[in-house]
Amino acid sequence: MWKTVNTGAARAEEALKQFLPPCQLKCPINEDIQRTNVLISMLPLDPEGAREGICQIGDYLHERNPLFTVCGYVCGLCELECNYQAKGGSIRRRLLKRFISDAYMDRIREKEEINVEKTKEDVAIVGGGPAGLMCAYDLSRRGYRVTIFETSDRLGGALWLIPHYRLPEDVLTTAVNNLVRICEADVKYNARIGEGKYSLDKLRKDGFKAVFIAKGTPMPRILTYGREKVEGQELSGVMYGQTFLYEVSHGNIQPNYFGGKKIIVIGGGNVAFDVARTARRLCGETTLVCLECEDKCSKDGIPADEEEIKGAWEEGVQIVYSRGVRRIMGKGGKFQRIECPHCASVFDETGFNPVFDSTDIVNIDGDVLMITVGQGPDRSFLQKENLLDDRGRLAVDPLTLQSLNKDWVFIGGDVRKIGFMVEAMHEGLVAAESIERHLRGLDMRAGRKREYEPQDIPFRRIYKHEPEVVWIPPEKRLHFQLFERGFTLKEAIEEAKRCARCGPCVSCKACLAIGIQHSLPVVEVNEETCSGCGICTSICYYGSAQWRFKDGGTVSTTDTFRCKACGMCVVACPSQARRMIGDPMDTRIQEVFSTLGA
Amino acid sequence: MTTFEPKIVCFSCNFGWGYLTDPEVREMQIKHWIPVVCSGKIDATHILKAFRSGADGVLILGCVDGDCHFQDGNYQTRKKVQLLQRVLPSFGIDPRRVRIELSLDPEGNSIRKIVEDMGRDLRPMGPLGMKEISAKPVATR
Repeated sequence: MWKTVNTGAARAEEALKQFLPPCQLKCPINEDIQRTNVLISMLPLDPEGAREGICQIGDYLHERNPLFTVCGYVCGLCELECNYQAKGGSIRRRLLKRFISDAYMDRIREKEEINVEKTKEDVAIVGGGPAGLMCAYDLSRRGYRVTIFETSDRLGGALWLIPHYRLPEDVLTTAVNNLVRICEADVKYNARIGEGKYSLDKLRKDGFKAVFIAKGTPMPRILTYGREKVEGQELSGVMYGQTFLYEVSHGNIQPNYFGGKKIIVIGGGNVAFDVARTARRLCGETTLVCLECEDKCSKDGIPADEEEIKGAWEEGVQIVYSRGVRRIMGKGGKFQRIECPHCASVFDETGFNPVFDSTDIVNIDGDVLMITVGQGPDRSFLQKENLLDDRGRLAVDPLTLQSLNKDWVFIGGDVRKIGFMVEAMHEGLVAAESIERHLRGLDMRAGRKREYEPQDIPFRRIYKHEPEVVWIPPEKRLHFQLFERGFTLKEAIEEAKRCARCGPCVSCKACLAIGIQHSLPVVEVNEETCSGCGICTSICYYGSAQWRFKDGGTVSTTDTFRCKACGMCVVACPSQARRMIGDPMDTRIQEVFSTLGA
Repeated sequence: MTTFEPKIVCFSCNFGWGYLTDPEVREMQIKHWIPVVCSGKIDATHILKAFRSGADGVLILGCVDGDCHFQDGNYQTRKKVQLLQRVLPSFGIDPRRVRIELSLDPEGNSIRKIVEDMGRDLRPMGPLGMKEISAKPVATR
């Protein structure tokens, strides 16, 4: 079995021009996707033997991203930019990561605490969601003493709103609890910063030299029509989707809770679909009403993911497109029906500005109405702590996440800008870097923004088709167990092999890590002997061998950022103008040939 | 001639063959073993040079078609080998002395057997440069 050696070398190094594989560019925390794909593809075929390799890959991933086990269930942003997308379907990186994650669960519980002496300042982190946790982890690694103040009685923040059929509870609890255990961060539960005596200034007085605020977006957005609030949102039977998901995840709602009831969900985002599918699993007859139309390519297309829509449809959620809600009607304080005018257009040049057609109105009856039209930050807290600007927006530097009003306060995650889980995690890392720079008196901005170009897909003869994702059939999946089947070892190896390895060697170095190569060779062109014929440019799969005009003729060159040192051009060159530097093959050939004894 | 043991140079791709085993162990098992990062790096000149240096056969082990780490290196080599096999007889070399195998063996335990099999096939031919050249004189114009 190979042993990976992590010398910390596989990272995007600073350079004038730098390529990265598009998946790594798309990933907000720039995970080494190609590297792990290569490592998975080289696992032993027997499950016993593979376990050790999987743990090594897991260790490597965990070091960069202690929440990777969760990402393996819910993220998959990298797949959106995969070069393979147009050639047979993106590499299913999320399932590959889930494969590692499933096998890594036991290991994560045994992982030792980080061995760093915490001699630096105290830092307070407000909010124990993905952003706060990542910030805590990174700062702890740097030697800061971190305390997380969490409003509720458990860590994870908005991740708890993801239904368990997509993210199993033990995956989440294992990831977050072990994260704080490993980085030895102090956690204060039920600590409502901003309420009562717990102000930010109090934290400062208590000795915290910097504060990172990642309180997320706990406030559901109220339903509006035109600019007006829709009346009737206080009726019994009307609730907000986030509150509902929160209660379900806490186990406060019995199975069959909605048995025989008609549920109406308002909203067209992924959260609305989570609500609808959860309600369906609680035996409710569910209808989802959204402003947007069913054509995802149109400007007014529904924002939820294709997979969510398909899943909901299969499970029997009725979806009503292009309808707004003008009135919520009830009788005796109890919700009865909504009045839905047709929505002719959702977005215009100014952004969200729905136009309704009041001649086309339908009424939809129901017993429960769940409003899931977005969520926002706790503005009163931000106001009270003087973190907003004159126009009521968050006063924060988007590059450093430092508050413009209080230089010891940093703000990031959903509270600054709603996004995916991994985007919040990225902000946690940015804040950690900023806090370090702030407390060490370093330049806050120098060298923080790097430009990368995505690398094109290499040319090859055969592109393989993506594997089917296996879901439990809809009639059998109306429960809160996982409905998606993960990869087996064989499938994972097959899928990892499909990866075209577009990225440059410097950002991967998987071959060095497992000892297949000892250094990355470089191809050198001797311009004296190069005839400029261009055979190398036609054989190169990576667009690295290129022509260049010189003294009225052409010579070939090698773009070292693109070059993988496969040696195909060296072999193809008819005038032997190309050679590989740092390649042990020639020495080895000489050694072996000398023993043949001709 | 019964004691003749053909000397077989074995090139093997690191991404498909024996990457789970220590190279030192592998080296002890296989004589004249040259691990390469991609079979696509092997040129006809390497093969001919092996013959010139005294090899009786050349074995190339590459990845499964379509699974090359460097896109299509194995395909390029297979192409070269097949072309070379067409040319070799005119130089008095039996084309069976060059063999390419595109397959996968992470443990690399089968390499030894493949080399032995090839050795068994080559044994009746005798050492390179004896039988073939006398049996089939090169046609010249």
